Amino acid sequence: MSAIVSVRGAVKEYALGAVKVQALRGVDLEVGEGEFLSIAGPSGSGKTTLLNLIGCVDTATSGVVQVAGKDTASLSERQLTELRLNTIGFIFQSFNLVSVLSVLQNVELPLLLQRRFSGKERHDRVLDLLGRVGLADHAKHRPSELSGGQRQRVAIARALVTRPQIVLADEPTANLDSVTGENILALMRELNRTERTTFIFSTHDAKVMAHASAVVRIADGRVLGREAPAAAQAEGH
Amino acid sequence: MFSTLRVLVQIAFRNLFASRLKTAIVGGIVFFGALLVTVGGSLLGSVTGGMARSITGTLAGDVQVYGASSKDDLAIFGGFGDQNLAQIDSFETLKAVVEKVPNVARVVPMGISGALVTSGNTIDLVLEKLRNAVRKETQGDRSPALLAEIEAQKEHVRQMVQVLEGEQKNLVALVDATKLTQEDRDNAMALARAASPQFWADFDRDPLNALEFLENKIAPQSTDADMLMLRYVGTDLSAFGRSFDRFRIVDGKPVPPGKRGFLFAKYFYEDRIKLRTARRLDKIREALSVKGQTIASDPDLQRMVHENERQTREILLQLDPTSTRNMTKLLRDELGSKETDLGRLLASFFAMDDASFERRYHFFYDRLAPMLELYRIRVGDTLTIKAFTKTGYSRSINLKVYGTFEFQGLEKSPLAGSVNLMDLVSFRDLYGFLTPDNQKEVARIEQAAGERAIDRAHADDELFGGDSKADAAQAPPAPPPMPKEAMPAVSAPLEKLHRDDRAARDYDPAELEKGVVLDAAVVLRDHSKVDQAIRDIGAATKRAGLDVKAVSWQDAAGIIGKLVMTFRLVLYLAFLVIFLVALVIINNALVMATLERVREIGTLRAVGAQKTFVLGMLVVEAATLGGVFGGLGAGVGALVVALLGAQGIPATSDVMNFFFSGPRLYPSLAPATVALAIAIVLVVATLSSFYPAWLAMRVSPREAMASDE
Ligand SMILES: Nc1ncnc2c1ncn2[C@@H]1O[C@H](COP(=O)(O)OP(=O)(O)OP(=O)(O)O)[C@@H](O)[C@H]1O
Ligand SMILES: [Mg+2]
Repeated sequence: MSAIVSVRGAVKEYALGAVKVQALRGVDLEVGEGEFLSIAGPSGSGKTTLLNLIGCVDTATSGVVQVAGKDTASLSERQLTELRLNTIGFIFQSFNLVSVLSVLQNVELPLLLQRRFSGKERHDRVLDLLGRVGLADHAKHRPSELSGGQRQRVAIARALVTRPQIVLADEPTANLDSVTGENILALMRELNRTERTTFIFSTHDAKVMAHASAVVRIADGRVLGREAPAAAQAEGH
Repeated sequence: MFSTLRVLVQIAFRNLFASRLKTAIVGGIVFFGALLVTVGGSLLGSVTGGMARSITGTLAGDVQVYGASSKDDLAIFGGFGDQNLAQIDSFETLKAVVEKVPNVARVVPMGISGALVTSGNTIDLVLEKLRNAVRKETQGDRSPALLAEIEAQKEHVRQMVQVLEGEQKNLVALVDATKLTQEDRDNAMALARAASPQFWADFDRDPLNALEFLENKIAPQSTDADMLMLRYVGTDLSAFGRSFDRFRIVDGKPVPPGKRGFLFAKYFYEDRIKLRTARRLDKIREALSVKGQTIASDPDLQRMVHENERQTREILLQLDPTSTRNMTKLLRDELGSKETDLGRLLASFFAMDDASFERRYHFFYDRLAPMLELYRIRVGDTLTIKAFTKTGYSRSINLKVYGTFEFQGLEKSPLAGSVNLMDLVSFRDLYGFLTPDNQKEVARIEQAAGERAIDRAHADDELFGGDSKADAAQAPPAPPPMPKEAMPAVSAPLEKLHRDDRAARDYDPAELEKGVVLDAAVVLRDHSKVDQAIRDIGAATKRAGLDVKAVSWQDAAGIIGKLVMTFRLVLYLAFLVIFLVALVIINNALVMATLERVREIGTLRAVGAQKTFVLGMLVVEAATLGGVFGGLGAGVGALVVALLGAQGIPATSDVMNFFFSGPRLYPSLAPATVALAIAIVLVVATLSSFYPAWLAMRVSPREAMASDE
């Protein structure tokens, strides 16, 4: 199994005034293609920081982060953005849909940015994905007209519309009730299987972890270890 | 590149209503900015356009050429009095040179000056009629008709004396005796004498002597004849008519070629020559019908009504006893009054209100006016213009008034209607011009006269057949100019003879071209290329060795021309200030809106939008806002202008009347103004978005991950 993400000895320091906060203290992580990986840990453990490094929205203070075979430290700001656009999809805790755009327009946005497809191609792709997340009838709706779960489905469609290799999701169910969260996870898992897309998501919810193919535990900026989900679930209770 | 822009515009349009506050503030400012520029620009354009037409289309032409060594700047509509302009010796030469410049359509010779004219007061006019009748009688005409006329005129004069005496008594009653001047006492004595039966009994024995007394002692006491400030242009009248195609004769007829003559500007004629009571009635009527005002609500109209009530003397003096009786009867019937005094009847007749105005207005013109002389100077009358030459000598000439004229489309423009016209030859006479040729002729006459020893002061009289004391500076050595007050009294009949003689004399139209002018109006084919034409004319005249300069109509119009430019400057300055303020406000609103959108911008960045995309997005969004609301504002502005254009904006004061070139301003929309309005707000909106866009560009994609605490 080839590694699509490879993090070695990653350290991330934040300067809070004169004090330096170490959010990551030397993280090692290998993620294989097609994995459905959960990053678990208590609040403040460094989950978001780690996802930021993998998602190329931030750079490590030291250590190596390789995404899709590229060393992110060697890439320019522009190139990092290109990498995000073409290789990575994002799902956010609070959905982050553009409120003035319709569901369809929100999902279309990354395709517009890619500038690779004609209007018809974009349209077909967006509708196909909306169908798969079960929102074909809501294409013309505004995000504000949707429920939280529906919004997150739109976000999933947006993350997948460019057919990225990796989808990152930072606590995708934190703002949803547990049933809806379950459904969202099930949907992600299904897409992970059908599209062969690698999913990395963070959570501190044991039920959510149960869907994962593997769980990486972190605490205090360090990886504690990689476990099978069943074990994690057992420990969570 | 193009596709990026399309995406930007697409997203910008989708984002138009992203932030209500932003849209409200920015959109509102942009909307009103565009509205303001559209309406303001159109109004200013219409005002300046109207004034420009009043100036270029009527007198100034597009370019004026005048002597380069003139001491003053040419100011066609400038203050009263003469400017010190260097004369251009040969118009012919100038014309030949200037006409060769490609864009020049016509060159019209001109001289602009002004004079005080005493428009013979009512008593003078009646005395003149009486004198003519008496002269005929002394020449042996004994027809009953003539004798009856003499009696009627005498009666009229006696009645006038009574009116004046009545006023004199009122004055004495008002002022305490010690304050009366010697002049007041002399006037009173003269009136007493003229009112006495003895005076009229003696009249027939020596009418000329009695007339002289009346002319010298009584007529001056009637102050209704004011000094009229007459501004006139001396020009080649036929060339003038051809060059200014809005020109047309209203009353009378054009001055025939080769004839001397005078044409009143219709507006001036109505405003200054007409019986004031009638003029006020006209103005009130215009205010009521054209401007929709009411006497009840407008203090200005009330003032005019009161003036009509009080100032009835102008009418009373005009009436001979028969007319007085007729008018008294008419008014008693009309008003259903038992009053016998015409003065009081007139006062109550003129006390009009909104209800009675229309009927009485027509009654005045249909029934009363036929008994009155509505204009102090009628078409066909002879006008005596007395002007001072540069060195202070007086010259006067008699000119027949051929008619009145106006400029089509500018009938109501006080500016366009302020200057009258006379033939150029008479103008030269009045001004005391001497061409080098004329000067030579003066010398020749002098020599020929030899021992007759004509002094140079009289030389040009000889030349022009005139009566004036010539311009000393033109033919030195001359006796020092005499102060105006000390001018030798020339016996009146003799003076008159000379004047009449000259008025009657024709001239050779070729004289127009050959002689002296003060300036020349140049009409261009393409009116928009004034600056180019000025350069070309300047170069051409310089090559020809002519000592002249060419100036734009704005410069030539004096204060008025500068006013037009000042207006423009003030408006643009106001725009500038407004838009600077707008820039700051829009900038703040956009910064606030950007701060609200940090997560959205972060998300865009995380999802793969480049920094430049974010920058472009905000700029295009602001520009879109500017374009959409600017377009709306300009559209509504255009609508407002169209509405105003259909309705007209009433001028509520004389000043506004002047600037509106008439009683109402009908603004029209210039496409350039709309384009300018949209362009300005686009630029302002875009500029204001630069700082917020720069802030947005620096938003990190990490902001997308930040959980909302
Ligand atoms: N921008 C920052 N500046 C300073 N300190 C930061 C910053 N971002 C994170 N940290 C700190 O780094 C540590 C790790 O934070 P991180 O957000 O990665 O934790 P987390 O596991 O995602 O927590 P949570 O479950 O609450 O989201 C925390 O102590 C946090 O205070
Ligand atoms: Mg987190």
